[in-house]
This record gives sequence, structure tokens and C-alpha cells, in this order.
Amino acid sequence: MKQIAIYGKGGIGKSTISANIAAAYAEMGLNTWYIGCDPKADGSMTLLGGRKVSTFLEKMRPGSVTEGEVVATGFKGVNCVETGGPLAGVGCAGRGIIVAVQALDKDYFTDDIDIIIYDVPGDVVCGGFAAPLREKFADEVYIVTSGEYLALYAADNIARGLENLKVNLGGLICNSREVDGEEGIIRDFAERIGSQMIGFIPRDAVVRECENRGRTVVEWAPASRQADAYRNLAKAILNNKMLSVPSPIDPEEIRSILREKGG
Amino acid sequence: MTEVLHPRPSPIVAAMYTLRDLDVDVIVMHGPPGCGFTASRLLEEAGVTVVTTGMQETDLIFGAEEKLVKLLKKVDEDFHPKMVGIVGTCASMIIGENLDAAIKKAGIRSIVLPIDTHGCSGPNTVGAIRVLEVAAAKGVIPWEEFERQREMLTRATELERERGMTSKPYLKPHRGATKLKIANKIVETLKEEGKVAVIVNAKKETAYRFADVLRAVEYARGKVGGSAVYIANTDPAVGLPRIRRYSQDIIRDLTEAGVTVDFLTGGLDEYPVAGEKAAGYLKDRKVDLRVICGLPHAVPDITQRDVLVTDQPRVLRNFLDTGFEYSVGEISTHSALMGATGIVHSELGDTIREVVDEELA
Repeated sequence: MKQIAIYGKGGIGKSTISANIAAAYAEMGLNTWYIGCDPKADGSMTLLGGRKVSTFLEKMRPGSVTEGEVVATGFKGVNCVETGGPLAGVGCAGRGIIVAVQALDKDYFTDDIDIIIYDVPGDVVCGGFAAPLREKFADEVYIVTSGEYLALYAADNIARGLENLKVNLGGLICNSREVDGEEGIIRDFAERIGSQMIGFIPRDAVVRECENRGRTVVEWAPASRQADAYRNLAKAILNNKMLSVPSPIDPEEIRSILREKGG
Repeated sequence: MTEVLHPRPSPIVAAMYTLRDLDVDVIVMHGPPGCGFTASRLLEEAGVTVVTTGMQETDLIFGAEEKLVKLLKKVDEDFHPKMVGIVGTCASMIIGENLDAAIKKAGIRSIVLPIDTHGCSGPNTVGAIRVLEVAAAKGVIPWEEFERQREMLTRATELERERGMTSKPYLKPHRGATKLKIANKIVETLKEEGKVAVIVNAKKETAYRFADVLRAVEYARGKVGGSAVYIANTDPAVGLPRIRRYSQDIIRDLTEAGVTVDFLTGGLDEYPVAGEKAAGYLKDRKVDLRVICGLPHAVPDITQRDVLVTDQPRVLRNFLDTGFEYSVGEISTHSALMGATGIVHSELGDTIREVVDEELA
């Protein structure tokens, strides 16, 4: 069983990438689980034909009247779980992730699972959001970024978290914003923090079109180049041998990369 | 600053006790069902009703404001309180529970004091100060009273740090030595026509027990001779109404036992500074033995010849470890006193009486 966690700046495209590689693994015939850790519980929507599922934590509440299974079966049998969590402004989303991940591991994860993908919101904001990185959960982390300063700054900050927690980084995934020299920027940055760029996802309108239909690109536009980009990324992650605890760099060093490699 | 390893009093419990001092009818703990468990039992004996929202795992995740609103309404219906205190706990405060919003939603008629303190707020006195601040803001006590008590509580924390239970990295609680040696020493001094000074420098309700030493020494003096001087921080004109009542009760019982306090050093919440006044009063007066009860470390010039009586097991350890051989404990004093309305017998007091009675038999 391989367990990976996807992190990255808010809005960078973690859920889109997570859902598309989950679809790619399912297409390969792998027993695949997608675990969405955002309280908004919308990451799995494209795997479920636009459906929103009842959340794992909502089910756990005493007196819960939530209908339906907490594990929803999506595209080609992908098992989808949304941990869910509190409404904005109350409770503790971090605690929710801790409880959900532990309960899933105890009661749901079986030995015949091939791959589990944790889609984790935002940067590592507190201990709870790092729960998927604990022992016996995700073995490796992938950080989604673009070639823009704030995305790289967030990636660097996540790398700092991984360094503290002594967790392996598998690589950076570029979700392109069509920044000049983007690939070079990210390769350079990756090298400096002791990692690699493991995949490059081009910017393509097909992503939005599919999302508007509540589908992944792999499902709705299977013959597109974009779908192949996700499939290649999925394979690269599956075969990735280059794992290392990253060493973050200084923000000024990020700016210097951008000045040198950017347009 | 010394890094202290042993557990020490919590701001949460200090807040609960201070609410009791303000005569609230009900304390609502917003947190896990076990938080404040021991203190609650004692406070119930003092006539305060303590209830809890009893937060569970899912409440941590989703928040428990609704539970608090529901409990406040129930408290209002079932107990008809005039004044209610809500005390935060680590759990509810870490997840950012909004006590004010819950009070508004509950819409109850009683005065509600929301105390947003928790276990990691700092020394225990922080919780007490927060209660007084909220009480002043709600017009329950005057701001001058808040300022006076804040000063006292700040001094109390300094005192503990300098000479009390947070002055050493680790103090193993001492269960208290036997009282016979000390009782003999006191009775001997009186028998030899010596002068014994008894200083009660006690914190709030603990004075109900320490004041018994005044009665016992007066009993001994009446039987075997000698002279005595009595000093106590039982000024009935200082502090919150409840604290004044304690002083009134004690003065009443002392009068009944024939004890006249020669010098009042302050109120029962002024123990951090009253010790200095006691020392000042005795400075130019010749006494043969000083017996200091309550918080002896608040008396700045204690010597190894003094008899020190405390209810704090770790403070007792500190005294014995540093050569104060005439130190004794009145351990578990606090739990024995909740709900008391008059002086309670002390172990040292009873031992003094026994020594005197055997002497005369």
C-alpha cells in the first residue's frame, strides 16, 4: 500500500490534481482511496459526478441523522471519503482531521488497498493538518505549486513543516499558471530544497469545462493531452524512488530564483 | 526564573473559587466533564452549584456553543440563579468558543460572568484576576476593589515564586510531621513564663482552621501561665462580602474563646502583604516564641526558631529542607473547610490542648 499526501497553497489546484490522479489510478485497475480533508468537503465532487457526499465526521456526531454511506464509490470504483469538519469560524478543523484519519485507519483501511491519496487543505496550519503525515499514514508528500512567488513561498513553508516532522517529500508538482520560465523556476527551487519536480500540469481550459460538468479530465476528456498529463504524473508518483526530507530556503533566495529564471 | 516541574494551581480552579467569593449561585464549566472535578465537589459543599457542558470529541471538532446555550437556559429554569459564572477550560478556549455569543443566545435574566481563562493562561492568579475584571466591568464590584485585589494577587504570585511553592524546580509534597514536639515547645515556653506570639496570616477560608491555634494557645496560657500576643489578618472591613463574613465568624468564635486579637494586619485576602505588617508590629516587642500559621513564608523575617504552620504540603517540604525544623502541616485543611461558618479544630491546636491537659492531670 502506498499512501501519499498532497499539500500546497490554497487555491493552487490540489483537489483537481488529487482527483485526476485518483481517476488515473482507478483506470489502471488499482484499489484507490481519495481522502478529502477540507471541511468544505468538495474535493471528491469530480470523482462522484458532481455529487456531494455526507462527511465522515458528520456521521460520527451523536444523534447524527446523516443518510448514506461515508465511503462513496466514484469513477471506476475510487473510494471517496470527505472528512468534513466544522462550519467556518467554529470548532477545530485540525482536531477533526486527526480524529477522522485515525478512525479511517482503524475501521476502513484494509490490506488490499493499493493507494491512498490525502488531499489536505492549505498550508500545514496546525498539528491537526499534519495528522496525515504521522507514522503509519502518508509515507510521502507532494507539494503543488506554480512559478509564482506566493505559491513557492507556501511550498517552502510546507517544506519547513516536513523538515520539522522528518517527513519525506516526493517532489513538487507544477500546476502551471503560464508564468515565464515556470518549469525552470520550479526545477531550480526543487533542487535547492533537496527535491525534484515530479510532474508538470499545463494550464488548459478543458479542466474548467470538466469541472463544470462535475467530472475529472481523466473521465470526461480521456483522450485529451491534459488527461495524459495527469496519467503521467500518476505513474511518476507510483514509481518515484527519490524521497528525501527537504531543507527549506530563505524567501530572498526564492525571489532571486524568480529574478534569474522568470521573465 | 526557576523552571518548575511539579503541577501547581490552575487559573481555571482559581477562577471557580473567585466566583464563589463573589457569591455566584451557579458555575457553568464549559469543557470536558472531568475538568474542575475536585474543586467542584468542594465548591458544592460551600453552597455553589457547579455544572458542566461535558464536551466530547465531536464538540472539539464542531464546536459546542449550542450545548452551552442549552445548559445556560436549563440552569436559569432549574436553579433561578441571581448570578452565574461561566468558566472556560483548555478545550473550549483552544477551539475558540465564544462565551459572549452563547450568553446572548441563551437570553437569560441572571447576571452572567463569562470567564475566558484556561489552564495555559499563566499562574493561577490570572484566572482570579480575570473573574474580578469581568465582575468590575459588569458592575458587580467597584473598579477600586478590582485594583486592590489585582495588586494582592500579583504580590501573591511573586511571593510563591520567591519563597513559596514555585521557588524550587521540584518540591515533593510532605505529609506533615507529628505535632507533639511543637506543642511541647509552645507549652514549655508558657510554663516558663515566656511570651508566645501567634500570627495568623491565612488565605481566605483556611483561616477557619489556623485561627484554632489562637484558641489553643489561649487555652494553654490560661492553664499554665505565661503571656501571649495575638495577630491575625481577620479584618472584617476588608474584601468581598463573603470574605468579610469569614472574618466576622472568626472574631465571633475567638471572642467566645476569650481571645482578643491584639493587632489586625489586614483582610483575609491580604495575606501577601499582611505578613510584613505582622513582622513590623513584633519588631520592637520582645517575644520568646513566634508561631506563624497559614502562609508563614509571607512573613519576611522568619527564622529557624519560629514555629511554622502551613496547609501546603510542598511549602512544608521547602521549610523542612531548608532547616526550619519547627514546621508542621495542617494538611487537607482546604477540603475540611468548605462550607464552614466558624473556627474548625486544628491538629496542632488539639495537640496543644492534649499536652496541657496531661500536664495538669
